[in-house]
Formats: sequence, C-alpha cells, structure tokens
Amino acid sequence: MRHSKAWIIWLVVTTVLLLTTRNPVYLFIILGVVLTLGTLMAKQKTQQPWLKPNLRFLVTMLVLSALINTLFTHVGESVLFTLPDQWLLIGGDITLESLVYGLINGLVIGALYITFNIFNLALSIKQITRLIPNVFHPIVITMTISLTFFPSIQRRAREIKEAQLIRGNPMKRISDWLPLLLPLLITSLEKAFLLSESMTARGFHNQRDQFSNRFLAISLIFATFFIFSGWILRLYAYPFLISFSFYLLSGGFIVFALFYANRKVNITHYHRETWSWEDVLSSILLVAAGATWITLLTTGNLPSTAYTPLPKLLLPKIQFQGVLIFFSPMLPLLFHHHD
Amino acid sequence: MINISHLFYQYPNTDNDVLKDVSLTISPGTLTLISGPSGSGKSTLLRCINGLVPHFSGGLIAGEIDVFGSNPIIDGTKEMSRKVGMVFQEPETQFVYDIVEDEIAFSLENFGIPRKIMHQQVSTVLKNLGLCHFRQRKIHTLSGGEKQKIAIASALVHHPKVLILDEPTSQLDPIAAANMLDFIASLKSKLGLTILITEHRLERLLPYADLLADLSPDGRLESGSPEEILMHMDQVPPIISIAKQIGVKPLPLKIEDFPNLELHRELNIIQKDPGEINTQTPVISTQNLTVNINMTKILDHIDFRLYEGEIHTLIGKNGAGKTTLLRSMMGLTPYEGRIQIFSHDADELGFRKVIQNLAYLPQNPNDLLFAESVLVEMQITLRNHQIHREISEIQGFLARFGLEEVSERYPRDLSVGERQRTALAAITIHEPEIIFLDEPTRGMDYEAKNTLKDQLIEWRDQKKAILVVTHDVEFAALIADRVTILDKGEILFTGSPKTAFTQFSEFQTQTAALFPETGWFTPDDIPFSK
Repeated sequence: MRHSKAWIIWLVVTTVLLLTTRNPVYLFIILGVVLTLGTLMAKQKTQQPWLKPNLRFLVTMLVLSALINTLFTHVGESVLFTLPDQWLLIGGDITLESLVYGLINGLVIGALYITFNIFNLALSIKQITRLIPNVFHPIVITMTISLTFFPSIQRRAREIKEAQLIRGNPMKRISDWLPLLLPLLITSLEKAFLLSESMTARGFHNQRDQFSNRFLAISLIFATFFIFSGWILRLYAYPFLISFSFYLLSGGFIVFALFYANRKVNITHYHRETWSWEDVLSSILLVAAGATWITLLTTGNLPSTAYTPLPKLLLPKIQFQGVLIFFSPMLPLLFHHHD
Repeated sequence: MINISHLFYQYPNTDNDVLKDVSLTISPGTLTLISGPSGSGKSTLLRCINGLVPHFSGGLIAGEIDVFGSNPIIDGTKEMSRKVGMVFQEPETQFVYDIVEDEIAFSLENFGIPRKIMHQQVSTVLKNLGLCHFRQRKIHTLSGGEKQKIAIASALVHHPKVLILDEPTSQLDPIAAANMLDFIASLKSKLGLTILITEHRLERLLPYADLLADLSPDGRLESGSPEEILMHMDQVPPIISIAKQIGVKPLPLKIEDFPNLELHRELNIIQKDPGEINTQTPVISTQNLTVNINMTKILDHIDFRLYEGEIHTLIGKNGAGKTTLLRSMMGLTPYEGRIQIFSHDADELGFRKVIQNLAYLPQNPNDLLFAESVLVEMQITLRNHQIHREISEIQGFLARFGLEEVSERYPRDLSVGERQRTALAAITIHEPEIIFLDEPTRGMDYEAKNTLKDQLIEWRDQKKAILVVTHDVEFAALIADRVTILDKGEILFTGSPKTAFTQFSEFQTQTAALFPETGWFTPDDIPFSK
C-alpha cells in the first residue's frame, strides 16, 4: 500500500476501532497487528530500531495509567488492600477492577501512538503535507521547512557552543547557556529571513485573496453552529437522524468552503500519486470493515465491544465478526511485499 | 535591457541612503559585475532588480527601474520572479525541499504550471546545466559547489531573462569557486542570459565581465568597461595592481593577457628573508594524530607543529580535514595519537588549562557576539577566565583594534569588519599565546582584509603563535610564514610559502602565475622601479 489517501483511510479505521471498544481481547488483537505491521515496515524503510522504543512507550503508558487509575479511583468489588482515608485523594480501597480499567486505558493510548507512528513511517514529509488542501499552502511550506530546518539548527548550536567553550564559558549554570541561546536565536531568525527571501524571489506568495479568507471564516462559523446544534439536540433526546443531518450540513460547509477556496489558489504539484490495485483493494476492504463495525455498533448487534471491568471483573466475551474486523488494519501487510 | 535611472533607496528606520542617485544601463545578454566594499549596497542594488527591495524589505525608494519592460517597484516580487532568477550567498539557506528535482520545481509549482510541462522544464534545465545525475539526490548529500549549481538550476527553470547572483562563491573553496564562476560565465553564451553578479574575488570574474559597476561606500555608482573602471579603483586584484604599477595599458584582465615583457629579467630577483622562527620547541605539536568520525578516517597520522612568533596558514580543499585538525587540537574531537601543548600532553593539561592560553575565532564571528555592547563582550571573556581589569584598561585594549569609538554600540549593528575585530578582541583580551582563526576573510572586502593582516602581523611580533585556516590563497600568501597543505586527511606539504604558492598549481597566486621562475608570489615581492 502506497497511496497517501489509502493510508488516511487505514488511519481513520484503525483509530475508530481503537476508540470504540474497551474489550481487551480486541485491543490485544489490534495491538499485535500494528506491532507486526510496524516492525516489518521499519525493517524496510529505516535502519533505526522501531519495536523497542514503541514497546517502551506502551509499557510506560500501561504502568502510568494503571497507577493513576488505581490510586485515584476507588470503585470495584475486588479490594486488594486499603489506604488510610485521611490520605488526600489516594485514600480508600485499591481494587483489582480499577487496576484493570487503567491497564485497558493504557493499552488504548499505547496502540494509538503506535498507529500514528506507522502512518508516519508509511508516508514521506511531502506526502503528508500534500494531504493538506492547497488553500493552506503557506502552512504546508512552513511545516516542510521546519522539518528540514532542524538539522542545520542543530549543527549551528554545536558550532556556537564550541566557540563559547573555547572563550572560557564553562557552560555549567543555566545563565551560561545565554551565550549559546542568543546567537542561535538570532542566526535562526536570520536564516529564516534569508529563506523567505529566496522563496519570494521564486514566486512564493500567499495566494489567498481577501474574499476567500472571509468566505472561509464565515463557513467555519456556520459549520461550528451546526455541529453544536446537532450535539445539543442529541442531548435533549431528539432523533439521531436530525442531529446527524446537522453534522452532515456542518461537514458540507467545510468541504464546500475548502473546495471553493482551493479552486482560487493557482498552485500545481510536481508529483502525482497514482492508485495501484493494492491501494484500491485495501481501501475498499478497510472502508467495508469500518462501515460494518459502525453498523453493528449502532444496531447493538455487537455486545462484546461494550466490555467494562466495573463493577466486578469478568472475563470479556468475544464475537467472530468482531475478531475479523479487528484484524482489518492488517490489510497493508498483505500487500506489503509490493511496496 | 535593464535601465536604472536616478535610484535612491533608504532602509526602514534609517536616515541615510544606501543607494544614492544610481543610474545604470545593462544590455541584454551581457554579464555585469558589481563591486564595492562591504556595506556599500551591492546586495541592495541586486534586490531592486527583482523587487525584493522595496516589497520584501520595506523602506523608501525613488527613481526609475525598467527590467525588460517591467517596473519592479510597481509590479512587485510575484511578477518579477517570472523575469528574474536569483541565487544567494549561502547554498544551504535557500532550499525548501530535500530532493533536488522537488527543489527545482518549487517556482513552477508557485506559478501554477501544469505538471507535464513542469516535468519537461525540470528535465531541460538539468540537461542544460549538466546536472541530470543529481535529479533524485538528497540535497544535503551534495557538496557546496553542487548545491550552488542546484540553486542556479532552481532560479533558471522557468526561463527568466535575467539571472542575479549575490556573492555566490563566498562559501566555497578556491577550486569549487573557480569552477562555479566559469560555470556562471558559460551560462551567458549558452542561454543568452543577462547576468548581474556581486563578488569580492574580482580576479576570477573580470575576464568575463562586459560591464563593471563600482559602488562607493557612500552609495554612488560608477559603471563602464572593466579596463576603464579599474583604473580609478583603489582596491584591485594583484594582477591589476601589478599592471598599474608597471604601466601596462590597456589593463590585462587575465593572466594570458599580461604582455610578455620579459620584465623579470630586468628586475632583480630577490630572495625573501624566511624570517626568524624559533623552531626549538613548538607551542603545539601533534604526533600520529588520527581522527575517525562515523567510521570514516578524517585525519591520518598527522605530525604538525606550530611555533611561537609565526603565522602558519593551513590550506586545502573542502573536506581535507582542516577544521577537524583545528578542533582536535582544541580538545573538541576525540583522537588517537598525541597532542602536546607547551610540551605537556593535552590530555593531562585538561580543557580549562588549554583554553586559558588559546583563542579561537570561528568561521562566523557572530557565533561569539551576544552582549549589549562591545565593552560588555570584553568583560564577559574576562569574567569567564576570572580576570579583573579596569574599564580604562579595557578601553585601551579596544583602541588597539580601532574599536574605542564603538565600545558602547551593539556588536551586531557594526560593519562586517568591525564585527570581526570585536570578536577578535573578545577572544584575545585574556592575552593567550595561541590564536586559531577559521576562514577569517570570508565575506570581507580588500580593506577589511588589510586591517586583519596588520593585526595578525602585530600579534606575530608579540611572539604569539597563530594558525589561520583559509581558502583565500592571495590572503594566505600575504601573511604566511609557513604553510601546511592538507589533502584527504594527510599532510601534502609543510614548509615555506614560496614553495606552497608557486609549486602547487591549485594554490598558485596570481603573482606566481605571472612571473614563473622568479619565486615571487605576492605583489610586494616584485622590486618595482628598483
């Protein structure tokens, strides 16, 4: 899988799956999938270790989340031990249920992190920035530059530090770092100035006119209004269909405004991404998996997702359709050798 | 055709005109060389051609500019960028993307050129400039000269009529710089471009220049044929100053044009006094110094000696290991072998002891300066070394550098030359015995170089040991007592400047090329009218 839009679909489906269940079995399936996918991709794309730092992050999240949840939430029936009540906030029953609940939360955060990491691994800076609409061209360029600018700033920092060291600055106290930070800040600003000069000389220009700016702002206000209206109606138990149409309206406003403003911006792109059959096939399958998942969820046909360890810890149930859907982020792996 | 008439320009928040009543007419398909001391407004004049001045810089402008039918003052940068391509001093700071072809296509994307045509234009420019093999390369893997060629390709990809270059070789070694200037000159005939270029190293470009425009420090401009303008200029390349003294007319712009007068037979050949260097005990010496960085051998068994009372210049191509040798002697790079400072092992002395007796001027003197005034910069170095000095003493020290007038000024507001002198004063106020300078003439005009030369000679007479790393062969020839040539991490030669600057063709000075077999290598060596 290579196309950036196919990867966006992968990212959205995986994130939705991760955020809509607390069933540890499903979470473990998806974690296993992303870890395998990431390790295989990293092997091909970079020489840097991938699995270890990601596992480290996952374990840290598990420990932190479990610790915080166990200490601060005192719900659940299986009491492990009790902390004195007079201990502010953490005093009370320490339960197995809140420990498990914390672990599950940690699992979700860790898996999300790894998912975004894979997305990063799959696409180049240019591919990611290309996903941003033309109308935000200046933002795209700023992002690209900040990413390519960093190594040269690092090198400058080293040069300045050495020059100040030889001048006798011990670089020990915090105030000793001023002679490094000030020249670094000034040279960075000078460099930024030179670069923007070079870009201006090559026709770079903020192409958005007054009208599209105003149009974008007004559309954003309308979109926000409709989103909130839909949400409030939902709060007052109006039918889902009504608020859903409000959401659609809001999304429509944003898409239309961007589309309109985009057409006004006369910028072309040197590279064009082409859809391969692998991209098309995995995108279709991913969308199908995501749609099935949402349908099953909203119709209540998948009770196994609604797992919670509270109030009493029980073993999670699993359903065949659920297992199948949670394996869907594996799809890029099927076409992996073609990359 | 480019026509500038009665142009005045003032930067924002300043009172004086950088350009004063400048008028200039440039014919299509010619190369114009713009010269003048630092701060005389050369870069500003270039930026008027593509509208960066005043549209990017702000400020007040008056007068008329016509660039092939467009007026940059009215039309702005977007419109002018289609007609004028620009290349800047530092190759690194002008790139947006990390891949060569993406970078070259940047302007085409901004102009909204259809993708198919874009690909054709990128291919054409790469082919025209002989850069096809770089197409997919990552820019950071290219050398300085290659990067500058990519910058030129990026400026030319949309077929502008004018190419302007702002000191495009100031960051390159002499060989890469010479190649670059030949390359630029070839573009004139190949593509029929109108080229404007500012450059400190006049000697290289003079043979190609159709027009020489000289800006004076007060912002006035004189233009004409190079032969004509050079007659009135004070600061000129060695070949011109020699021709002027002998009275050769018209002035020869390149070595081959110099009349074969058999001059050196009439003039007495003198042997320069090699100077008295006490070669008993070196101040710094290295034995079998080897440095590896990322598994690559940068220095290979270097035996180097620096003595008191000498100016030692270290020359060599980019990547020869010059800066690494400097850094290892300062204890900034891990090394194998032995480094001795005042007959003690550097390892045993420790970093703090070493730097008490050592001063280092980095390539960019701005790296040192951050305080609110020149005076405070001096106090900071003194405080670093825990030395107490009265203000009057510091003022006296600054006077030796000609900085007494500016002691209360903010260092970064000073001219290039003054800024470097401030940095030099700041690193030497604790009176170290050893002074290292890395590329001290970068971006400096002839006058600033002369001041630096006098300062170095003063230090040498005070018996200090001075090591100068430089690409500037003409400057090195003026100051050197001894020369070391580094090549691919090994010492190719150590010895007298006479041998270095006459025998090694890559480092030959203009004087040496003019008078082979005489042993002269600077204009001072020639016994005029004696």
